[in-house]
Amino acid sequence: MRSILTIILNDLNIFFAQRGNLVGLLVIPVLLTLVVGWSIGQIGGGGPTRLRVDLIDHDQTELSAKLIEELRAANDALVLCPLDNDADDFCRLGEEHLQLERAVERARSGSTSALIVIPAGYAAALEGFERINIDYYSLSDPLQPSPVLQSLNAVLQRAGSASITTGVAGALLDNVTAAIDLPPLDKETRDGFLRSIYLRSQEMLTEQPAPVRFRVADAASDGEDGSLNGFNQSGPGMGSLYVMFTVLGGMAVLLRERRQWTLQRLMALPLSRAQILAAKIGVYFTLGMIQYFIVFAVGAAAGMDFGSDPPALLAVMAAFVLCITALTFALAPWMKSEGQARGLVLLLSLSLAPLGGAWWPLEIVPEFMRTLGRLSPVAWAMNAFQDLIWYNGGFGDVLPEIGVLLAASAVLFIFGIRSFKYE
Amino acid sequence: MQTMVETRNLRKTYSRADGSTIEAVKGVDLEIRQGEIFSLLGPNGAGKTTTISMISGLVTPTEGDATIGGFSITTQSMEAKRLMGFVPQEIALYPELSARQNLAFFGRMYGLGGKTLSRRVDELLDFVDLADRQKDRIDTFSGGMKRRVNLAAGLLNSPPLIYMDEPTVGIDPQSRRRILDTVKTLRDEQGMTVLYTTHLMEEAEELSDRVGIMDHGEIIAMGTQDELTQQVGEEDRLEITTGAQNVGEALIERMQQEIAGVTRVLYNPPEQIGDNGSESTPARLTVFAKRGRTALPQIIQTLDAAGIDIQSVEVLEPDLEAVFLALTGRALRD
Ligand SMILES: Nc1ncnc2c1ncn2[C@@H]1O[C@H](COP(=O)(O)OP(=O)(O)O)[C@@H](O)[C@H]1O
Ligand SMILES: [Mg+2]
Repeated sequence: MRSILTIILNDLNIFFAQRGNLVGLLVIPVLLTLVVGWSIGQIGGGGPTRLRVDLIDHDQTELSAKLIEELRAANDALVLCPLDNDADDFCRLGEEHLQLERAVERARSGSTSALIVIPAGYAAALEGFERINIDYYSLSDPLQPSPVLQSLNAVLQRAGSASITTGVAGALLDNVTAAIDLPPLDKETRDGFLRSIYLRSQEMLTEQPAPVRFRVADAASDGEDGSLNGFNQSGPGMGSLYVMFTVLGGMAVLLRERRQWTLQRLMALPLSRAQILAAKIGVYFTLGMIQYFIVFAVGAAAGMDFGSDPPALLAVMAAFVLCITALTFALAPWMKSEGQARGLVLLLSLSLAPLGGAWWPLEIVPEFMRTLGRLSPVAWAMNAFQDLIWYNGGFGDVLPEIGVLLAASAVLFIFGIRSFKYE
Repeated sequence: MQTMVETRNLRKTYSRADGSTIEAVKGVDLEIRQGEIFSLLGPNGAGKTTTISMISGLVTPTEGDATIGGFSITTQSMEAKRLMGFVPQEIALYPELSARQNLAFFGRMYGLGGKTLSRRVDELLDFVDLADRQKDRIDTFSGGMKRRVNLAAGLLNSPPLIYMDEPTVGIDPQSRRRILDTVKTLRDEQGMTVLYTTHLMEEAEELSDRVGIMDHGEIIAMGTQDELTQQVGEEDRLEITTGAQNVGEALIERMQQEIAGVTRVLYNPPEQIGDNGSESTPARLTVFAKRGRTALPQIIQTLDAAGIDIQSVEVLEPDLEAVFLALTGRALRD
């Protein structure tokens, strides 16, 4: 074990003794993180373009359905879970049914933007012109404009106005029938009449142009917050891109060590082949982690968020670095020359990064690109970083991504270790 | 004397990218005794590096095994490797690190640390006379200085046995002299066993207690220098350069049969040298003869009569070059 550490330290020492490496490790990633983060902040992207909102409807009536319909229309960025979940499980529900308790926990931890609970008796209360509470849970500051809350309020206001109209109409109807001495209407006719007034008035209210149309981007672009979100994209994105550059660069270094015979000299030392391999893997894993830390440190200085679960963040970083290290060792035996290796480093980094959403969020690319992106380990890492940083998720939320990255690492390591060229 | 290194039927077959295979070493049996300098002498591509790589645990033999101080290099490689130092043909050092950093790293890998390590590094820097340049990066060193650090790196664990694979390649005569003297010092003052490979006859002659001559992956002769030169008998070797572009088989035949003492005649055609073949070496006739000086007049006469012009003649006592020539029909340097 001591020998392994000695080799790792020596290789790091050599890495840092090369000026060119410092530029690649430090200067360029730092500049890119700042420039990309700032630009994304300026164009207002970077934040999530869809908001995850849990919605539990205990009422299950025509009117509650109408309310939900309205909510969708008011803000198309809202994804109501579980109703509007997509094939990708944007809602992150898994197999489980969404229970109130779990939904409250999700809202409290920030993994959803909000939870809306429509209570049983909602329709009855509206029709009876009674007061009823719609429960709204969210982490966001109630004093800050939240797009979800605003949409909900707008919709409820409309429902409220419609119900006032109905209430007035009902009272009017009763008074009129009494005043002109008509036979009292049977209950069914009366209810039908009032419902049609309710629906009609709500329709009319909806058709009026909404005074404000709430978009997520509006919330993200006001002042400082916007650029913060930019770094939430550029930090993990540029970090992952440069982890690839640095770690995959190991392919060329391994060839160089064989060419300059330092690898062979190690093999003539009383060391097992496994120790040498472990040390080399350790070197690139360590460099990858250092790369992430550098970029994240810059991100932190620029105001990037790190979510609320540092161990989970660390686990995602480690899983991604391990996966790229494994890829390095799986490809290295096939490299014929250092030039070829360096070419492949560029090709892989520059294709896997945008494919996986390192430069811009995958939400803004077409569906087929998103599907294709699954092939890139970057996509899995970025997805996990989003969960942690944008949605305040925890370990549980990123376990699937970590699992995929670790499984890929295992497969790649099997290839790499079996075909590692000692001779 | 005790045996330090013994190989049995060592073989290595490499497969090339195109699927063909090459037998780099074809069943080598060696015995290197404690305290001697043993040279493996052979032209480039003979299989010297491959042999040394197998007995240092760097390359797994396709067949056969070697023991170092009684430990098998394939099944007890840790024990075997602790007994050896290794000076590869390449400068196996980290160019970005200083001489001292390089030595300290390899020393640490042998388990040295603290005072012991820094004392050993100091000793070796003094030994190769580079104490004043120890803080400089290897990539600022001259070829000769790199070679000396390369050598020092093989001595860190004070091993009883050291392998040196062509340690004088590509350096100036002064640095070569230094290295050769160092090798002798290791044997004479520290009692080390040295396995030394070279393609230069002079080096093998100067250093070796015993020599193994290697060609095409095989040891074609082995023994002390006297034993080897006796193999070619008491024959002198006459090197004749000529301007003739060709010497007929018939003439060679006739010389072998008609001139008293001549046993063998070899013809080496002219060779193109220089970057674009602008220059060429003259054609050479090598004549093996008992009492070479006595046979010389008749040889010259015969060549004259055949219209072969003679540019120079040299009469050489039996040496390793002659042994190689006699065994392979080629000069070592070819
Ligand atoms: N790794 C290898 N792969 C394929 N062929 C090799 C390899 N190493 C050496 N050879 C071949 O084996 C033969 C012996 O090489 P080597 O042991 O380096 O000879 P020497 O050290 O005597 O010059 C050469 O023909 C060389 O081309
Ligand atoms: Mg060689």
